[in-house]
Order: sequence, then structure tokens, then C-alpha cells
Amino acid sequence: MGWFGSSEKSAPDAASRQDRQRCWDSRDVYFTCLDAANVIKPGDEGKACDTSKAEYERDCARSWIEYFNKRRVLAEQQQGVLTQAKNQINAAKNS
Amino acid sequence: MLAFAPRLAARCKATRRSNTPIARLAQTSVVPRHASRGFSSSAPARNQPLPDASGRDKAAVGVFTPKAAALFVATGVGLFFYFRYEKQKLIERRQKELEDKQVGRPNVGGPFTLTTQDGKTFTEKDLLGKWSLIYFGFTNCPDICPEELDKMSAAVDTLDKEYGPVVQPIFISVDPARDSVAQVKRYASEFHSRLVGLTGDYDTVKKTCKAYRVYFSTPPDAKPTDDYLVDHSIFFYFMDPNGRFVDAFGKATTVEEVVARVQKEIGVWHGRTGKTA
Repeated sequence: MGWFGSSEKSAPDAASRQDRQRCWDSRDVYFTCLDAANVIKPGDEGKACDTSKAEYERDCARSWIEYFNKRRVLAEQQQGVLTQAKNQINAAKNS
Repeated sequence: MLAFAPRLAARCKATRRSNTPIARLAQTSVVPRHASRGFSSSAPARNQPLPDASGRDKAAVGVFTPKAAALFVATGVGLFFYFRYEKQKLIERRQKELEDKQVGRPNVGGPFTLTTQDGKTFTEKDLLGKWSLIYFGFTNCPDICPEELDKMSAAVDTLDKEYGPVVQPIFISVDPARDSVAQVKRYASEFHSRLVGLTGDYDTVKKTCKAYRVYFSTPPDAKPTDDYLVDHSIFFYFMDPNGRFVDAFGKATTVEEVVARVQKEIGVWHGRTGKTA
């Protein structure tokens, strides 16, 4: 929880467009880092994305983080199912 | 006319069976009896034993007395008007169905009393006289609410340019514990200048959501400082200037689709009332 000292910024304000945007941007940076580390579930990356994770947790409310993280996992699962379906279709076409 | 039918039947039988005595009997006995029902003048014919050919002709001609003719014409005219009336009714009914698609319109909406971001009371009566786009959400909404409200605002901007301010954008909070009037004011100000942000206490919001068939999951005992999300229905409603439901738009609907749908309804409305709202 080291980011408290490094930032004077107060808790993110959901009613502010600017704060929302900042949270989304931090989230995207962190998720890009996860993608690079080949990690789907946030938290499984070890120390690989600590910097971006700290910013993400600073800029977004805890409830938002939970929501975005869950959605990322769900989206990946969905993507997996879709890719599988596509592969099956292709396999059926080629056979 | 009623007396006429059996007589014709009897005639047909008579011709088929040629000149047998029975046929003659049937003919003679049937004709005067039915004929006499229609008019009293031929009543004496009943007393005559087996009327001759001239008597039969007299009976046949007798059917077309002025009285029978009048009855015939009256029935015909009556039927004519009856069918015309029925047809008219059918056309009117179809017309009504076409014009006013009330049948199958979901029963969305109802009375409510909420507070605007300026602290004023806002009820369902304030929806009258303008088209409205109503979104139910909460200010602590991570991404869907702001996206939908931006979409709504963009659609309203486009429509404003074409018609003037005839479409009223409205945001109704489903998070009464945290969404105070001040919070809603800050939130709404960043979307559309005419966006009306509404909130109220838990029971009022709950009642409003029920009327609008909106589901939301805020716990009744939530505290303003709690950090939680509200699961809720995420479509926005399109209501007409009579405050009646027209359509609902989901996340997949684009700004262009919303604009086109509203334009279509305004067009129909203009054609019927001569006004755009």
C-alpha cells in the first residue's frame, strides 16, 4: 500500500468525468501489462505489473477494480469460447 | 319474403313431378295457405274447393301486393344499412388500430415524485408536452452508465439541431443512499446542459423503478460512505409527449439508431397533430 505516500490525490470521484477517465486509463495500462505478461486473471502476475497496478488502485475505487477485474476474466473466457467455436467451424469446413 | 320461399319450393316440386294429382294437391294447398298469411284479401280463397288455374294466378300475383313489396323493400333497405354500418365499424376499428398502437404497448411508466438536481419537485406530469429519454443509473457506475448517458446526450444534441428542445433527457438514480441532490447535480452537469437528474429516498426510488419496470439491487440499508456497485437494468426509455412508453434502447443501440427512431416517432406525431411535441 505504498502509493498513499507518493500521491496527495484524494479518493477518485465517480461523479467527475475527469476522474472516471483517469481510472479507465490506469486500468488500460495495467491490463496491457497483464496481456504482456500473459496473465488473464489480475493478481496472478506476481510483481510484473506493480507500478501500473499501484496507479490502477490509486485511480479507481475498490468496487470498480473488482468489477473491471471480473469483467476481464469473463471477457477472456468468452473470447476463448468464441475462438473454439470458430476453430470448430473451420475444422468442419476443411474436413 | 318469408311467405315467398315455401311457395317457390312447392312450384319446383310441382314441375318436377309433372301433372300427378299429388303435385297438384300440394301446389294448391300450399300456395293459398302461405299466400294468405301475407295478406288478408285472399283469405276467401281458402274456402274455395280446389281453385282453378285463374285462382292460382290470382294467388301468385297477390304476393306482389303493395304491402309485400313494401316489406321486401324495407327489409332490403334495412339489410343494406345494417351491412353498411357493420362495414363502417370494421373500417373504423382497423383505422384506430393502425393509428394508435396502444394494443401491445408495454405498461411502462406511472406516477412518481422525485427531486431534481436543483432541489425542485419533479413528477410524471413534468414529462408531458415533451418527448423524453429516461435513463436509470447511479453516479458511482463504472462505465456503462456514463457511456449510455453520453449516447443519450449525443442523440439529444442531434435532435435539438433539427427540432429545437423537444426531447428531454432524464437521469433517475437507483442509488438513493449515495446519490444526494448535490451529487446528482455534479454528475448531471457533465453530460447534457438540459439533463434533468432525479433522486429521492429509497421508497420513492423503489416505487418509481417498479412503475418503470426497472430492476436494481441497492440494499435498503446502504450507507453513503459504502463502496459498492448497483446492479440494475441498463436500457433507456423513450416516452412520448403524453408520457406514454414508445421504445427502449439497449447498450447495442447506436446514437444514429436512437436518433432515427425518435425522428420517426416525431414524424408520425407531426403528421397527426401538426406539432413536433
